Amino acid sequence: MTIDARIPVYQLNDIVCGYEGKPVLRVESLSLYDDGPVAFVGHNGSGKSTLLNLLAFLLPPISGELMFQGATAGESGRGSLDATMLLQDPYLLRRSVFENVAYGLKARGMKDVRSRVVEALEMVGLSPDFARRLWYQLSGGEARRVALASRLALRTKVLLLDEPTANVDEESAQLIAQVILDARRMWGALPLIATHDLQWLDSVTQRRIFMRRGRIERQPA
Amino acid sequence: MNFLSEGFLQGFDLLFSGDEEVWSAVFETLKLSSLSMLVSLLIGIPAGFALGHFSFPGRRAVRLLVDTLLSIPTVVVGLFVYAFISNRGPLGSFELLFTTSGMAIGQTILALPIIMALTASAVENTDRRLRFTLLTLGARGRRLLLSTLWEARHQILLAAVTAYGRVTAEVGVSMMLGGNIKWHTRTITTAITLETGKGNFATGIALGVLLLSLSFVLNWSVSFLRGRSAA
Repeated sequence: MTIDARIPVYQLNDIVCGYEGKPVLRVESLSLYDDGPVAFVGHNGSGKSTLLNLLAFLLPPISGELMFQGATAGESGRGSLDATMLLQDPYLLRRSVFENVAYGLKARGMKDVRSRVVEALEMVGLSPDFARRLWYQLSGGEARRVALASRLALRTKVLLLDEPTANVDEESAQLIAQVILDARRMWGALPLIATHDLQWLDSVTQRRIFMRRGRIERQPA
Repeated sequence: MNFLSEGFLQGFDLLFSGDEEVWSAVFETLKLSSLSMLVSLLIGIPAGFALGHFSFPGRRAVRLLVDTLLSIPTVVVGLFVYAFISNRGPLGSFELLFTTSGMAIGQTILALPIIMALTASAVENTDRRLRFTLLTLGARGRRLLLSTLWEARHQILLAAVTAYGRVTAEVGVSMMLGGNIKWHTRTITTAITLETGKGNFATGIALGVLLLSLSFVLNWSVSFLRGRSAA
């Protein structure tokens, strides 16, 4: 999709968000523009995952206004197909690797499914032969790469990643960093990352929003 | 104990020589169980999915009723269905008593709660990350529901196999609603009951071996599916 650089991709005004009516996140004002990866940094329980769920349109706000590209999000599904998210503990569908990566493409009615799947697998360092494997034949690290590939294949404007380096080795962490930068370079994705791995984050972005106890503590001017 | 070993030998002879009476009971069992399973699956899977997936008023009461029906005695089902389809019953004009269709109604009532309850449990126990995963990949509406159902397919197959085991092994419904009519409504289990009563162990054992073989295949399938769904 074409993004107007003058309009924030996301605009949050007086947002209260939580689970079963119980607020765990409050954001007075936040604008995210399309100018490179942004990281949400904070300890466990700081509200990073809740904010990502909100930005992925998985969790509606209890109150406040969530705008996507200048229009209220949620209305007529506005924005919901322009964002995808890699969960902190990714889940693979009980299908082959190919079917996992192809699922979102088919759901969106996209063409060239096979070539997009191969391309996405190669981005995460997996050969096309890997596509035939079934979900239970993968190691934890391989499953995470397949889950990441299934999001990359969609080439969405917004790519949300919740603790992408949790429980992965150094080599995989570097590969994920490279993939994030590739997504930005190749199709202009806006990566939004929740992490507390500051050392790893140095290789991805310096644009950091610090969170604490469900609130934004500090953000770039 | 000689009669038992002789019975086994004669039983295998009857099986492999293609004894028409024995195989008639086998085919009737397969026809009947296939019919009742088809109806049970067509109703039970959507109903079980709705029960496990959606919240609606009275859901807990329906769940309790379905769970209670899991252990309903076959003769009680036979009794109630008999009351409905006998000449004096409200469905008497359809002349279903002592027919395969009449027996299938009873067996469907036996299988349906199993399919519904186990499908509902399978859907309730799908991984909590599944919904978010499907949503982030772009699934909406019907695709979201069908994909959720597909993720629970191994447990639903397990439910089908379990229900199939229950209907092929029951005697009460088949005896009361079918009448154990030779060449017509006689099933493996009703034939075993009759032949054993007559002291004709060979036929009983032949049919018993077949039923055991079927049970083995079903249990092997269950074991395989359990392993697959746990993977």
